[in-house]
Amino acid sequence: MISLTSPVETWAHGWPAGAKLAALCAATMGLFALDSVAGQGAAFAMMLALYAAPGAVFLRNGLARLRMLWPFLAVIFVWHLVTATPAEGAIIALRLVTAVGLANLVTMTTQLSDMIGVVRWLAAPLRRIGIGTRALELGIALVIRFTPMLAQKGAALSRAWRARSARRPGWRIVLPFTLIAIDDAERVADALKARGGV
Amino acid sequence: MERNIALIALFAALIAALGIIPAVMLPFGVPITAQSLGVMLCGTVLGARRGTLAVLLFLLLVFLGLPLLSGGKGGLGVIVGPTGGFVIGFPVAAFVAGFVTERWRGAPLAVTAGVGAAVGGVVLYAFGIAGMAIVLDKTPAQAALLVTAFIPGDAIKAVIAGLVTSALYRARPRAVLSRA
Amino acid sequence: MAQPLALSNVSLALEGRAILHGITLNGDQRRIGIVGRNGSGKSTLARVIAGLQAPDSGDVRLFGVDVAQDRKAAIRTVGILFQNPDHQIIFPTVDEEIAFGLTQLGQTKAEAAAGVRAILEQFGKGHWAGAAVHPLSQGQKQLLCLMAILAMRPRLIVLDEPLSGLDIPTRMQLMRYLDGVDAHLLHISHDPATLAGYDRVIWISGGAIAADGLAADVLPEFTADMQRLGGMDDISDLAG
Repeated sequence: MISLTSPVETWAHGWPAGAKLAALCAATMGLFALDSVAGQGAAFAMMLALYAAPGAVFLRNGLARLRMLWPFLAVIFVWHLVTATPAEGAIIALRLVTAVGLANLVTMTTQLSDMIGVVRWLAAPLRRIGIGTRALELGIALVIRFTPMLAQKGAALSRAWRARSARRPGWRIVLPFTLIAIDDAERVADALKARGGV
Repeated sequence: MERNIALIALFAALIAALGIIPAVMLPFGVPITAQSLGVMLCGTVLGARRGTLAVLLFLLLVFLGLPLLSGGKGGLGVIVGPTGGFVIGFPVAAFVAGFVTERWRGAPLAVTAGVGAAVGGVVLYAFGIAGMAIVLDKTPAQAALLVTAFIPGDAIKAVIAGLVTSALYRARPRAVLSRA
Repeated sequence: MAQPLALSNVSLALEGRAILHGITLNGDQRRIGIVGRNGSGKSTLARVIAGLQAPDSGDVRLFGVDVAQDRKAAIRTVGILFQNPDHQIIFPTVDEEIAFGLTQLGQTKAEAAAGVRAILEQFGKGHWAGAAVHPLSQGQKQLLCLMAILAMRPRLIVLDEPLSGLDIPTRMQLMRYLDGVDAHLLHISHDPATLAGYDRVIWISGGAIAADGLAADVLPEFTADMQRLGGMDDISDLAG
């Protein structure tokens, strides 16, 4: 399945995922502690510089992912215009965009397999006290395997619906769709069992 | 054991797949995505414990960087974004929906699951509003104002969750673990 | 040596409906075919022989292994290829899918990785290493399932109509792969042509054995009966 990792290789792709996540945590906490427009503006500029460093394609790709924030930015703008508190509004808006931007940056520069590696590392203490993490790893693999397949079957269902109806498929398609997931689960359980189970 | 893992994983995949189905428009122009319906179904069908695990598995993959939230969103940005509270509230909502469905046996499943999903929805909004209040630096009451447009959609989704759960129970009684 | 295939008086009911009625079956042929109509119980029989479903009564032993109870020994003894490869493949990539069975046998990660390479090379599919499963064609997925099973070196492989739904060239190519398999094959099909070269064919009808013998004897009899039924209208009968 397509992940949100950027196809543009950056220097940050090689950094250890754990370190990037730790840095992100620290930066986010810092952003929420920082209470000045100048400070937030500097953080925002730094975030933009990080996006610009790998090149124009990466920058455009990264900014496109921040577009989902615009309705909230619009609300903040109107709100603080009405209440006449522009400084507070600027801090909130800059902090929001910088925090989401930095988090996206970690996602964009970290391979899925490296992220799963961090999960395994975090789960290691569980293994040491005797809790199996095999089910977790199996679960991750199963979701990656079956999400595109379920989506495909859902598309087939809605085609079957539209073949005999002038209207778009509504919520009634959720029932047969859920049945497909349940029946697939029973077969997966069989397939797991056929090769030795969990 | 195999069956539990398979059902948990397939319901996690179901939440993701429901996010891909285009939003259904309500009569008064409010879009509702089927994704949070999937979260409620995890609870009402799989029960509190397994339903919560399914939602947690889904969220883990979202945080790891898969674009599984509706609209193709994913990655770590969604946690710190304005709707992060809703995302964090997903597993709690599934737990509450499952808990009500499991414990309340005195009424038809369509009613208990529907009420379960509604109570789960209230919990979801509590998390969502809290998250929005923090990120946008507003009071909870002010943040609540911003999400009122979505309440009718979610009320309808609770009804649908109840109907779908009871229809599933008729079609695949063995798979509705909340009644097992 | 214990019989490769030994079923004694196997009966099974699912959700209140009797599916298999006292099936007794012994065999040591390397290629056994099972024919029957849709709903005759042959897929359920496949699941019982693979040890995925314990019978209500009776005994199933393959090479002396009680496959429903002793799952550890069962996965070294029997593999099953489902009709739809999408119901079989658990993992998102080719390597993970093949390696899973090997680690289940107790191999280390390195041993399993070597096993994956070996089986891919054996089939001339070295370039499949690391490929994602989702974009594979149906025939490619089915071949992946076969490789994943063969890598585990079971002594008997149950084929639950893996060729139906494939186009003619793909089916012929997969059949060639299957013909080359060293393990015993128990091939379930509703297509007599697929089983023509087999050592023995068993005809299942209504959850019981209707005929059992040489392919040359059973298959023509089966085909004639299917054509007779084709002229009738039992499609209108509801199960119950």
